[in-house]
Amino acid sequence: MMIQLVASPTSVNEAERLLRLGIDRLIVGDDTFGLRMNGDWNVDMVREVTRLAHRHGKEVSVAVNAIVHAPQIEALPDYLATLKEMAVDDVLVGDVGAIRLIRQFGLPYWYDAQTLVTSAKQIQFFAKRGAIGAVAARELTIEELANIQRQIGVPLDVQVYGPTCIHHSRRRLLTNFGRHLEHGERMDRRLFELVEPNDPVRRYPILEDENGTHIFLDHVSTHEQLATLFRLGLHTWRLEGWREERHFLDIVSLFADARRALLNGQFQPERMQAQMRELRESNLSSSEMTLRMERESVETS
Amino acid sequence: MKRPELLAPAGNLEKLKIAILYGADAVYIGGQQFGLRSRAGNFTVDAMQEGVRFAHERGKKVYVAANMVTHEGDLEGAGPFFQTLRDLGIDAVIVSDPALIEICMMEAPGLPVHLSTQASATNSETLRFWHEEELERVVLAREVSLDEIKRMKRETDIEIETFIHGAMCIAYSGRCTLSNHMTGRDANRGGCAQSCRWQYELLENGMTYSEETPFSMSAVDLSMVRHLPDLIEAGVDSLKIEGRMKSIHYVATVCNVYRRVIDAYFENPNAFTFDPMWEEEISKVAQRDVSTGFYYGRPSETAQLYGEGRSRAEYVFAARVLSYDEATGMATFEQRNHIACGDEIEIVGPGMRTFRQVIDHMTDASYSPIDVAEKAMMTFHVRVNERVVVNDIVRKRIRH
Repeated sequence: MMIQLVASPTSVNEAERLLRLGIDRLIVGDDTFGLRMNGDWNVDMVREVTRLAHRHGKEVSVAVNAIVHAPQIEALPDYLATLKEMAVDDVLVGDVGAIRLIRQFGLPYWYDAQTLVTSAKQIQFFAKRGAIGAVAARELTIEELANIQRQIGVPLDVQVYGPTCIHHSRRRLLTNFGRHLEHGERMDRRLFELVEPNDPVRRYPILEDENGTHIFLDHVSTHEQLATLFRLGLHTWRLEGWREERHFLDIVSLFADARRALLNGQFQPERMQAQMRELRESNLSSSEMTLRMERESVETS
Repeated sequence: MKRPELLAPAGNLEKLKIAILYGADAVYIGGQQFGLRSRAGNFTVDAMQEGVRFAHERGKKVYVAANMVTHEGDLEGAGPFFQTLRDLGIDAVIVSDPALIEICMMEAPGLPVHLSTQASATNSETLRFWHEEELERVVLAREVSLDEIKRMKRETDIEIETFIHGAMCIAYSGRCTLSNHMTGRDANRGGCAQSCRWQYELLENGMTYSEETPFSMSAVDLSMVRHLPDLIEAGVDSLKIEGRMKSIHYVATVCNVYRRVIDAYFENPNAFTFDPMWEEEISKVAQRDVSTGFYYGRPSETAQLYGEGRSRAEYVFAARVLSYDEATGMATFEQRNHIACGDEIEIVGPGMRTFRQVIDHMTDASYSPIDVAEKAMMTFHVRVNERVVVNDIVRKRIRH
């Protein structure tokens, strides 16, 4: 029995470190065709990371999961031809127009329509139309996920760690707010947080980019339920981490250890919990909460 | 040029009839399952049957929204539900969930399927995909521009429906689960708590970003009343009004105006000019400021509400006309709001027939004079200055 670990690197260097830690599939992409990507992966970088992953015997998925408007749909065939030629393993896609094109190019795809992927029958609809897997809506319970996985016959990507998007608007909500305040500052690609009126404690990260505005639920982690996920047949584990770069690699390492232990029948949940707590306490002070994408742009400039 | 369908919301049987009488070519309603408006008055099978009969007798259509994003266990009964709709003569179902689409296609063949806006259709390839799956129509995402619509119309053969009026999700419909996380109510299964309209504190590096002004994502409403020729000339097949939760006053007024605008355009497209009176009429039921959404570019800050709240209506819905006695000049009203002698009222009927008067004589159901009608839904009589017709709308001017 296999457990596949999946994560998004911010750079080719980080991709190599992730592969060494035990990541089986890397998700890369750009902000034209993908949503909320770590770093902006141009085709040369995708080519390089694909070669790298294949040298390690691992896979690369390219995110084509944007809600596709006219200029993108026009540019998509060329992009897909390039992906096909560089032999990426598959793509993630939610827009059915993009799915139609992807099938014409014979690229394998995961159905990734985010909040809309909530039942086995939806996934089977796309599996009958060529999908090789699906990315589950992050709002589903473990019971729902297990129930779906039992029925579908293709792998179901479940999130085990990181932030998850709970709102996608095409509007420039932060820019609009800045203009309403008339203070003349750029508001996009800056990390803000929202506090809702009924819960003064919880913080919801909010970020604006070319595709609009995204609100996240932070610190999702299923490390306490890993044994259950494993037992219920949920074996495709996604780790997200566009923040907290340094300890993201430590987190990945913990999940890789947990996988090894589970497969050997030696998993100790208490130990994993203690390690996660320790990591959080040492790394998650607010000053450490730097956007990985910001750090990436500093590294590359 | 093809005359587009005017499609109106109908939260119940009364609103369905009013929408059709006031000019809608088709209405959309909710059944008792698989819808997204758990709080809208949804139709029983009997009410649907009556609604279909009323519509079809007048050459109009009835669609049923079944646009829930289903989870495991939600699909039970979907096949028989769609079969029932088909057998009742429902003209189409509006669906976004591929599982429901497949069930409908397999188990209720012959019932046309329209893709709901919840599926965020934004490009020609998406339209081709659903056309190949034998859907009859796609309701576009609210995020597409007029140029994108023209292009989709040029490049595909499937029918296109687009919103022209009403409230808007600030997010791509279906891609927002704020309500799920903040209130435990599933936005995509009929429970949306409209968390986007709340006021939030915005932080950067843990510090409040703006002390005085709270952050908000609340969208003003959509209104294309001034720009209808653009959509007609783009070839849109169906023009949709939002609002199954809205009052009959709202439905009547909005349908009345859009019917008039469409008819005026087709009387002579080249000589069409916009009459500001139409906009004034529709503003009488407005709940918020309005904008043109994404049709002419991405909405700016002027298309959002930052704490100003709702605009105050100048008129309230006071009564519905039940009958008129030519001999006495007395009309029978059904009360919908406090109304009294001395009130300035406006009576509106289909075709934008309108007049104003001050109430000088009122009697109760047994013809005893009264000064005020206070009881909800009570029947009473009012002397009117012009002829009125059953289902005319009576609104009362309010002084702020």
